[in-house]
Amino acid sequence: MSRKLGAMALALGILVGAMGLKTLVTTRSNSAVVMANGVSPVPPIKNLPPAN
Amino acid sequence: MSAGVCFVALSVLRAWFLKYFFLNLYVILSMSADLLRLYVLKYYGLESPQYEYAYYYTDCLLTVALFVAVISLASRVFGELNLTRYVRFVAVLLLLGTVGFSYAVVAQSTERLATRFALELSQNLYFVGLVLTYLLWGAVLKLKETRTRLVQMVLSLGLYFSAYAGCYALVNLAPKYEVVQYLAPILGCFLPISWSLTIMRHSEDSRLIPARLVAVPR
Repeated sequence: MSRKLGAMALALGILVGAMGLKTLVTTRSNSAVVMANGVSPVPPIKNLPPAN
Repeated sequence: MSAGVCFVALSVLRAWFLKYFFLNLYVILSMSADLLRLYVLKYYGLESPQYEYAYYYTDCLLTVALFVAVISLASRVFGELNLTRYVRFVAVLLLLGTVGFSYAVVAQSTERLATRFALELSQNLYFVGLVLTYLLWGAVLKLKETRTRLVQMVLSLGLYFSAYAGCYALVNLAPKYEVVQYLAPILGCFLPISWSLTIMRHSEDSRLIPARLVAVPR
């Protein structure tokens, strides 16, 4: 039981850390995106409307 | 592409395909995605919505596959401590948490929700993978993991994620330089090349001391 709680706490910690890091990195961004896969050119995201 | 073919071919020929199944799956999916993207790019063009859809949906799929590959390496690192079950539990929680967070971010969007969601999920999973890889490297050092292949595969993932983070920073800091735009696609070759070199140069029985990799020579 305690191991499961520990695993849940770890997952939560990783999630909070990752989202915090992302917020930190993207705060001063010019809406560029991180695309981590493949060798193809990244398409411009001008066609996508903003999230909010 | 050829590095990917080399990695998968070596895995099949030396009967390691199932042992490194999720790494192979990522490389195969990556090659298939590249072929699909090239096909769509050729017929519809870079600024077409078709290419945009093909790119972002395949990227989301590939990021999930990369996340699973990181988890498979974590399972192997923690396997000797009988913690594989908990690693999977953490992985499922992380995936569900990231999906939930991504949906919460894009839920307000009324237009092209699915594409926006795929993009957001891909970005969020990338950062989760980055944090997870660094934690895994910490665990490799702490547990004094000595399997050369495992250590080098974790290291190459760390370098890959870090290089993309650096690339992202460059895109933001110097957007006017076009050369920066081409760095990310070039980095796409890094993972299959480094995994192929690892599999070619080191046998399953090779051992090293990871502490030596971080020790500063005096």
